This record gives sequence, structure tokens and C-alpha cells, in this order.
Amino acid sequence: MKLALAGINHRTAPVDVREKVAFRAEHVPAALLHMQARGAKEALILSTCNRVEVTAALADDMPTDMLVEAILSGRDGLTLEGVRPYVYFFEQTEAIRHLFRVASSLDSMIVGEPQILGQLKQAYAQARDQGAIGGILDTVLTRAFSVAKRIRSETEIGESAVSVGYAAVELAREIFGSLNRKRVLIIGAGKMSEAAARHLLRAGATDILITNRTQQRADDLSQLLQGEVIPYDSFADRLSEIDIVIASSSAPGYVLVSDTVHRAIEARRNQPMFLIDIAVPRNIEPDVNKVEHAFLYDIDDLQRIADRNLQAREEMAEQAESIVDDEVTRLQARLRQRDIAPTIVSLQAQLEAVRAEVLERYRPHLGTLTSDQEEALEALTRTIINKIAHGPISEIRRHAASQKRGENIHEGELISAVRRMFRLRDS
Amino acid sequence: MSVFWLRAAAALYFCGLLYALIYLFRKSTRLFTPALIAFAVGTVLHLVSLVELRAETGHLPLNNFYETSSICAFLIAFLFLLAYSYYHISIFGVCLFPVVFFMTLIGATEFPVSSWSSPEVRNAWLTVHITSVLIGYAALILSAVASVYYLLQERQLKRKHLSPSSNPLPPLATLDRVITHSMNTGFVFITIATVTGVIWAFIETGTHWILDPKIGFFLFTWAFYLAMIFLRISAGWRGRRIAWLAVSVLSCSIITWATHAGLRSLWQR
Repeated sequence: MKLALAGINHRTAPVDVREKVAFRAEHVPAALLHMQARGAKEALILSTCNRVEVTAALADDMPTDMLVEAILSGRDGLTLEGVRPYVYFFEQTEAIRHLFRVASSLDSMIVGEPQILGQLKQAYAQARDQGAIGGILDTVLTRAFSVAKRIRSETEIGESAVSVGYAAVELAREIFGSLNRKRVLIIGAGKMSEAAARHLLRAGATDILITNRTQQRADDLSQLLQGEVIPYDSFADRLSEIDIVIASSSAPGYVLVSDTVHRAIEARRNQPMFLIDIAVPRNIEPDVNKVEHAFLYDIDDLQRIADRNLQAREEMAEQAESIVDDEVTRLQARLRQRDIAPTIVSLQAQLEAVRAEVLERYRPHLGTLTSDQEEALEALTRTIINKIAHGPISEIRRHAASQKRGENIHEGELISAVRRMFRLRDS
Repeated sequence: MSVFWLRAAAALYFCGLLYALIYLFRKSTRLFTPALIAFAVGTVLHLVSLVELRAETGHLPLNNFYETSSICAFLIAFLFLLAYSYYHISIFGVCLFPVVFFMTLIGATEFPVSSWSSPEVRNAWLTVHITSVLIGYAALILSAVASVYYLLQERQLKRKHLSPSSNPLPPLATLDRVITHSMNTGFVFITIATVTGVIWAFIETGTHWILDPKIGFFLFTWAFYLAMIFLRISAGWRGRRIAWLAVSVLSCSIITWATHAGLRSLWQR
């Protein structure tokens, strides 16, 4: 049996291919069934917006192309030839490594993003409900989850803000500490400011004030965010109550200049004010940053912080990779132990059966024996079979332990030789 | 008799000082009215003492530093009450109550009292004085260090060099709270130290204490500190300005400390 994985992701396939291949959640059970019908012992389908992957435990002689066919079966407009160039394949150890890396978010578009682990767990639950998870996938996936956990706790891979909205929240925390009961003003009720405001709300900000040139859109957004709408012409009058300003209006010129901000900060007795200008062209005069106690960040500043954090994450990823290496080696060792165990057990059982059979056949010829003689006979026969078994068993063990990384987990040759030599039946 | 009224006035002004110190920690003006009443009664007694002194000496009591200090304190108190009756601005009290109290206290030291009741009281008094000075200095150092951190953090935020995930400095708001609390605590202890120090020097050396430069410098440091506290709570000074003030007050304190070198001789007897 072998572990095989096939998939496409954001690196190998453009979005128009990914969106065609992606599974809707309700189609996954059918695809799993299809794979089981085609002979896969175990199967898992992971489908997110950046990747579609199929993992399966297959009989050794099954072609891995079967996985791709499974992805494509019953879907319109997709051919094996059309998709194949984008597909990557992994088998055995490499498949394990890949699953570990995916679970730990090392393979993600944004390295360290936390969603992928949840998505993988969901895929696992779905496949398990379908009865598609058996010994191998269960061991590998459970291990993958704890590897992801280990990497999260031992490296700082998930700690920094790599999106613009989140960078804004982190900066706000650098100024205000907790964002509890901080008051936010949104100038320009667009999608961007809505997203930024949601980040701040989630971080604890409570009061949202919204102002927009067209009243209607301000009203709509205020319903979404449960904010208060204030008139566009006079929002500067209330600037002194505001801790955080998010500007994203489509106004052609500056809607906020340094004089206004200066006055507001004086009125709020020098309490700091954080201004986020995500509009292009900019809404807030750049000189506002020179006003004492005002901190102005535009979209590029935030992007730079996000990029810098991303870079730091990628450095952290190297540390994580070595954890993955370590874990793959460990799991391999465990799987190999599990692999050779049945052979050893059935070899011992086979020899014991021979011994019992022969003893039973010849025992009557020996007449009555004292209990000492009985015991000696037991010991004699048992020693013979143990001595015979010792060679092959220790050879199998040695072979399993000495295997290097990258070789097959199910090394096959020696084990099948032993099985043939001793006529072991499949257990 | 005039000195009795003057001491009574100083005691009532002391209520004003207490109010100012309490205000630093709980920004409520609930205690303002009782403090104001005590202060006003103090002002009246102060006037009584001045009139009596005038009657005793036959001229306006402007003979020496003590008397001018006392009169000046009275005038400040009077003007404050006048201004308050028109404008109802209570925040000035936080600054002026302590000032009036100290100037009156200085005025009240014109007439020496008999010496310490026992050496134990004297030593205990000195211990209280020195301990509060040291606690005050420690708090002041903490607020100066926090101010410098505030400046660094502010600079990083302004220059956008910050990467929030790897920044070891605490948020501005946290630093601001540390500065406020340590500065206020320091002020309370420096004030206790100043009151005990002035009274100690007065009992110890009679009327000559005012000529001692180290006491003069101590009073100056205290006044500087008071100004800083007042600017912070009334005008909301923070950041660069308060950092400079904190460092300056700290430097003054270090000089004051240096002038007090050789304290050992005081413990004798």
C-alpha cells in the first residue's frame, strides 16, 4: 500500500484553472465515493481557494493518475490533458512532508496564515464521516495537526500582521494599548474602510462614527457596523473626540489638513490620534504626521509594515521546515515499525503452528514421560523454532531501522521475500 | 498672638494642599468645596494675623523675607478666591493651594519655637524626611525613564520604522499611565519631604534656616515639580515636553541631593 497525493495550488495553477477545479463542499462526498469505488483504500479531499488536493492510500500497483481522474470525474469542461500540466504528485515520505507543510501553513500563499489548518481538519472530518479514513491517513493527518500546533508554539510564524487591515490594528495597539472604548471615525463609506473598521471592532473598538458625502451610503454602512452617522460638512467639529480616523473617500483633494488636526488634538488635551489614510489619491494632508501627537499612516506605509512582517515570517519558516523534517523522520520510523509488525507476528505464529503440529504427530511414539522430560521436550522444540526465526526477524528489524529518509515506507522487497520463503499468508 | 493665627491659617491651607494631592489620583472635584471653605477660612485668619502684626509693630509687616512671603501668600490666596468667585475655575487650586501653603509656612517660621521634645522625635522626623525624599526620587526617576521610552516609541511611530510584532517598547498609552502615576506619587512624597524638611530646619536652626542654599534649592525643585504636575493635569502636556520637564526636574533633584551630602553630622546627638 502506498500513500499518494495529487493537487494544484496557487503556485502551480492560475486562478482560472483553480476556480474550475475547486470543489463545492457538497460535491466532496461523491468524489470520495468515486475514489473508493475505483479501489482507493483511504481518501481525503482538501479544497480551498488556493489549493485542491487529493490524498489517498492506494495499492502499490495503482497509477497515481487515478487521483487526477477522480478530481475531474463528472465535471464539465475539464480534461486530464488540460489540467495535468498544473498538477503535482507526491508519494510516500514526500506526501507526508507535503501534508505536514500544508497543515503548518508553510505552503500557503501567505505563509503562517491560520485558516488552512481548520480547512484541513474539516476535510479530515468530512472524509472520516464518509468512512474514507483508515489507519494510514488517520496516523498521518493526526500527526500533521500536532506538527502544525508544534510549529505555531515553537516558532513565531503566526505572530505578525501581514495584511494591511491587521497592520493598522497592530499600530493602533502600539499607540493605545488596548483598543477598548476607542472611538473610530470613518470618512468615506467604502469597502476598504468597512474592512478596516471591522478589524478594529474585532480588536475592541466600540464607537464607530461614519461620515460620507452621500448620506445614503453612510446610513447603509452604519447599519452594518452599528455606527453613528455624522454630517459630512461638519465632521471636523467632532474630530476632538476621535481616537482613530480611517479615511477612504473618493474626494479629489485633502479632506483633512494639519490645521484641523492640530486644533482637534489641542482640544483633546494632547491625547494621541491615529489617522489611517487608505484612499488613493490621499485624503489626509501628509503634513498631519508632523503635528505633535498625531500619527498618520497611508496605504503604502501599512503595506510596507505588512511586507516586512511577511519577510520575517518567511525567515521563521526555515525554522519550521526543520521541525517538519524532524517530524517526518519520526513518523516514518513509527510507520515502519507498524509495517513490519504483522510479518514478524505471522512468522512466529507460522513456526509455532509447525512445532505444535509436529509435536502432536510424534508425541505418541515417545510413550510416557516424566514431567521433567515433558518440559525438556517443550524447550527443545521451542528453541529450535526461535533459533530459526531469529535470523529473519532481526534482519527485518535492522533493515527497517537503517532505512534512510526518502526511501519507501513500505519497503516491500525484504518483507515479501521473507513472506514467500516461509509461506506466510496475508494477515 | 499674630503667629498663632498665622499657624492656624497655615493648618487650614494644608487642607488645600491635601485636596491638591488627592486630586492627582482621583480626578474628582467632590472634595473641592470643603477644601475651598477651609482655604477661605484660612485666608480670613491670615488677614487677622497680618492686622494684629500691624498693630503690634505699628507698620506694615514687610521687614524681612518671612513677612513678605506671608503677605505674598495672603495676596495670592485673596486673588485666587476673587478669581474663583468670578470664573469658577477650580483647576488653579491644584497649583495655588500648595504654593500658598508653603509661603505661609515659611512666613510662620519667623518666630523660633523651643527645640525638639526628645532626640527620638528628632531622629524619627529626620527619617520620615529622608525616606520620603528617596521614595520621591525613585518615582521621579521612573517617570523620567518612562518619558524617554515614550519619546523613543513616539519617534518610531512617527518615522514609521516600527514593526509592531518585534517592538519591545510598550504602547504609548501604557507609558503615559506609568508616567502619570509615578510622577504623581513622586510629587506626594517630595511634598511630604519638603514640609518635614522645612519644619525640621526651622526647629533646628531657628530663623537662620532660610539662608541655607540647600533648602532654597530644595524649595525651588519642589516648585519646579509642582509646575510640571500642573502643566500635565491642566494642559495635558505629554510626550516631548513632559519628557524634557521630567529630565530637568530630575537634574534639579540630583543637584539638591548633592547639596545634602554629609548628612551624617545631622544624626549626632
